[in-house]
Amino acid sequence: MHYSFSDNFKKKAEQLLGIYPQKEAVIIPLLHELQRELGYLPDEAMDALADYLKVPPVRIKGVVLFYTMFNRKPVGKFHIQVCRNISCSLMGAGNIIDFLKKNLGINEGETTADGYFTLSTVECLGSCGTAPVMMVNDDYFEDLTMDKIEKLLKEFKNG
Amino acid sequence: MPRITIDNRTIDVEANTSIIKAAERVGIYIPRYCYHPSLSIVATCRMCIVEVEKAPKLMPACSTQVMDGMVVHTDTEKVKSARKEILEFLLINHPLDCPICDQAGECFLQDYYMDYGLYHSRFRQEDKIRRRKRRIIGNNLVLDNERCILCSRCVRFLQEVTKTEELTVAERGDNSEIDLREGKTVDNPYSLNLADICPVGAITSRDFRFQSRVWFLQRTNSICTGCATGCNVEAHHRNGKVYRLLPRHNGNVNGHWMCDFGRLSYKVLMSESRVTKADIRVNEGINPGNIKDVLKETIKIIEKIIKDNGADSIGVMGSANQSLENNLALAEFARKSIGTKNICMDFPFEQGIKDGILINKDPMPNSSGARLIHTANNGISIDQFFSLLKAGRIKLVIVSGNDLYFFREKLSEVLSDAPKPKIIGFMSDMSNFPWQVDCILPVPTCFEERGMFINYAGLLQKTEPAVSAKDGIKPLWELLNEASLLMGKSIELKDRSAILGKLSQTIKEINGITYEKIGEKGVKVL
Amino acid sequence: MAEKVLFKNINDPKQLEIETCLKNGGYNILKKALSMKPEALIEEVKKSNLRGRGGAGFPTGMKWSFIPKAAPRKYLVCNADEGEPGTFKDRVIIEKDPHLLLEGIIISSYAIGAYQAYIYIRGEFVKGARILEKAISDAYKNGFLGKNILNSGYNLDVIVHRGAGAYICGEETALLESIEGKRGLPRVKPPFPAQVGLFGCPTVINNVETLAAVPAIVAKGGDWYAGIGKGKSTGTKLFSISGPVKKPGVYEVDLGYPFKNFFEEYAGGMLDGKKLKAVIPGGSSTPVLTAEEAMNVALDYESLQSAGSMLGSGAIIIIDDKTCMVDALYILVRFYHHESCGQCTPCREGSGWIEKVLHRIEKGKGVPGDVELIESVANNIMGRTLCPFGDALAMPVLSFVKKFRHEFIDHAAGKICGRAVARA
Repeated sequence: MHYSFSDNFKKKAEQLLGIYPQKEAVIIPLLHELQRELGYLPDEAMDALADYLKVPPVRIKGVVLFYTMFNRKPVGKFHIQVCRNISCSLMGAGNIIDFLKKNLGINEGETTADGYFTLSTVECLGSCGTAPVMMVNDDYFEDLTMDKIEKLLKEFKNG
Repeated sequence: MPRITIDNRTIDVEANTSIIKAAERVGIYIPRYCYHPSLSIVATCRMCIVEVEKAPKLMPACSTQVMDGMVVHTDTEKVKSARKEILEFLLINHPLDCPICDQAGECFLQDYYMDYGLYHSRFRQEDKIRRRKRRIIGNNLVLDNERCILCSRCVRFLQEVTKTEELTVAERGDNSEIDLREGKTVDNPYSLNLADICPVGAITSRDFRFQSRVWFLQRTNSICTGCATGCNVEAHHRNGKVYRLLPRHNGNVNGHWMCDFGRLSYKVLMSESRVTKADIRVNEGINPGNIKDVLKETIKIIEKIIKDNGADSIGVMGSANQSLENNLALAEFARKSIGTKNICMDFPFEQGIKDGILINKDPMPNSSGARLIHTANNGISIDQFFSLLKAGRIKLVIVSGNDLYFFREKLSEVLSDAPKPKIIGFMSDMSNFPWQVDCILPVPTCFEERGMFINYAGLLQKTEPAVSAKDGIKPLWELLNEASLLMGKSIELKDRSAILGKLSQTIKEINGITYEKIGEKGVKVL
Repeated sequence: MAEKVLFKNINDPKQLEIETCLKNGGYNILKKALSMKPEALIEEVKKSNLRGRGGAGFPTGMKWSFIPKAAPRKYLVCNADEGEPGTFKDRVIIEKDPHLLLEGIIISSYAIGAYQAYIYIRGEFVKGARILEKAISDAYKNGFLGKNILNSGYNLDVIVHRGAGAYICGEETALLESIEGKRGLPRVKPPFPAQVGLFGCPTVINNVETLAAVPAIVAKGGDWYAGIGKGKSTGTKLFSISGPVKKPGVYEVDLGYPFKNFFEEYAGGMLDGKKLKAVIPGGSSTPVLTAEEAMNVALDYESLQSAGSMLGSGAIIIIDDKTCMVDALYILVRFYHHESCGQCTPCREGSGWIEKVLHRIEKGKGVPGDVELIESVANNIMGRTLCPFGDALAMPVLSFVKKFRHEFIDHAAGKICGRAVARA
């Protein structure tokens, strides 16, 4: 299965290749871009990127598997990532995680049947002063309480 | 030049020498996994860490450069303790595969454990990480992720030597594993070097899998005859059977590597195209017979053609696949016993490494050597040879190798409108020979005979027999000497010292040559 | 308390917009800097004794002076990977006063002779990256970036490069690997980045906070900066404080400020009903202090070192008396296990091993010798690894077990306290 880049992607790729002095430096920015378009990184897209940059396909695979932000499988419309590190745990992250599991009916790493929510735990998000904290897609949600989360989930569901 | 003292031995070394290399020079071996002299330094296994006076912690010997006045200790309790601890880390998730692992007996984990380990495990079995095993990652290789200690030698070899980069380390932390892109297997022409450099049984050779325990194998130093590069090898054998070839280090020829084609060339010993019996074709029928009888019949054919058409109607072809000794004998036989001047031993193969690594443009191991004999005997060029064939002036061709395979197009063109001459072949293997042979006399393969070969760079090296030739098969020179006696025109090559004498006489570049002088690393003659 | 160096304009909600920033004096110092010789700038920073604010504390001026002047291509890299647990100070600068950071980057790049600077920002800081992009775009429009900045003849391009989720990329050489499109594996040193850095060229990597301090040093002189603080710990520092305190957040104080005062005056002390039990003073990789030790220490490099810990990134994590130290350590060890790059043997294997044994200890399923075992394993990692990550993993293990040993012994013997918060 061959993957064709969008015009937008091609433009972005050319722009980046004009900035960085070594072509491989665009790998991670372009993987972010691909994920932005596709929601995750299917094999075909990774191979297409390898082909485009003339690097061996396994190089792209190695990079994708190293970094946690790259999704190897599709995720739900809202990827909920709760911090499980020290400050957030001290301030109740454990209860937040339990609450989300119960509320959504899924375990860590799983997606709800309607495809709306994927639940993950992550390490320190760099917002410890407003613990507990979670990241949903690109946004941070801080000073979390059960009520806040319940409200947020409803808002997400309703679009 | 910086001066370093290692374990009370002092040596001056060039700037930018690592401690591990300096130690080697004073005969001290520092244990290592990720370090390999022909690959980049990564200093990740941490096994080579040693005590450096004035340094706050133990330093990796592979990546620490010698500085003037440096004092290093490699055998203190601190260092031995550290090695034990690194081993412990490597062994906690390592499977107890030794009883079924091919690497046993040449495994860096086993060896260093006996030297530095020998402890009771503190690790609980239920904590052990399980990984994928027995993954076929190419035509020649099996990968066992559970045995892998992530030294990354394989990944670096494919990045730096073959530049094909089929493998990567996937994931991170202790989820790390060697992996490839599905469908893109490790099938480059040098893949089996990975089995050599893998310090443990993570990457192993499919060809050698379960064939023999390594401690039963004997080793014979020889050279590969797969092309004009002449990589140095070690033939591993037992009870008359060769089990594998491994590259032998030679800084002037092949470094630490050899190609897969050469490595597997020992299989000719077992192939179906191997010539093991003498055959003579009479009136469309094949009459196998013992070598002596077939030789006698062959001589009869030769003598008849000389009588009917003159000695020059016999063309004698040497072989770039044959040793100097055998080509010499063939030339002597051609001149003295037959009396023909139509001798050709000059094969115009282009010389030089063709892939930037080891494989030569010239597929034959001794073009340079054969050419020396050719010149000394005023041989005719291969074009002249083909012209004579085309004109029907050659009634009999004597060959000693499958060199003509590489000229098969020209050959079939020449023979399309010329009568086919009789062919007598002194062959070890019939694969790829593009002509139907009338008499076949078996000769040993390079694995069964001592022989001198000159590679593309003018280096004279020798093969040594790992196993003996079977069933009365004698070296070509011996057979020809016998034939010459039967014909009453002796070539006087009754033993090797006679051959060495004749070679010295005939070819000034190898005057005074002996097998001892060639030794294990060869000697430059051209 | 000296004036605010980094947080001068932090309370102006429009400070990130260039119009407001300029009104508040933004980029004035740039003009002055570009009129000085690069060597003079390096000299001022040396005099200031500014030390790397990311955690390593290496003298900044010295780092800059290692760059070979004659090299044709050099780079400045701003380390905005901020991943050390407990640290959230750089985010404040990035999101609230990005132009201060940019001004610092431009001056520093000029000082070392770089024509391209990268801001490596952790992938999760999406908002921060967007704010930086906008600030950079505005800076170009106003002539503070690009060709012939403020008619000085100096050219600089700044590029925001996002990470993708790997704490190890906060280590400077792993960061360079990541920009170069590879897995974030720390490099063997030597060679150091000042010789062989980004794309093989001499490179300076500095933390956000370090670069943001440069404009003030240039404006008022290195001696002025060196006059703030205590002894060899000069200047001000942003301390992130988190955990069960009344006012968690980021506060700028002079180095040398007593922890007790900081804790009570700035963070407001413990939340009602909670008592102080332990303090991690400089981010999770620094040895933990007991409440008593913390209350008697000053917040500077030397004092914390004497107390057996480190200033690190200045991330203060407060632990209360209801927290199980075994569980707290488990959370940290789980983090290090997750983030280990896996290159070198002790860290790769040891991190997983310690996590497994510690998990059993916490659950009360330890066997005799387990506590000594994790200490032994941590000691076998310490000082043996290719990069400081191994020590960062070992130090919390050793300090937690040393100072709260009875909790570990009890848990290992089956006497669990039942107060675990980690969801394993």
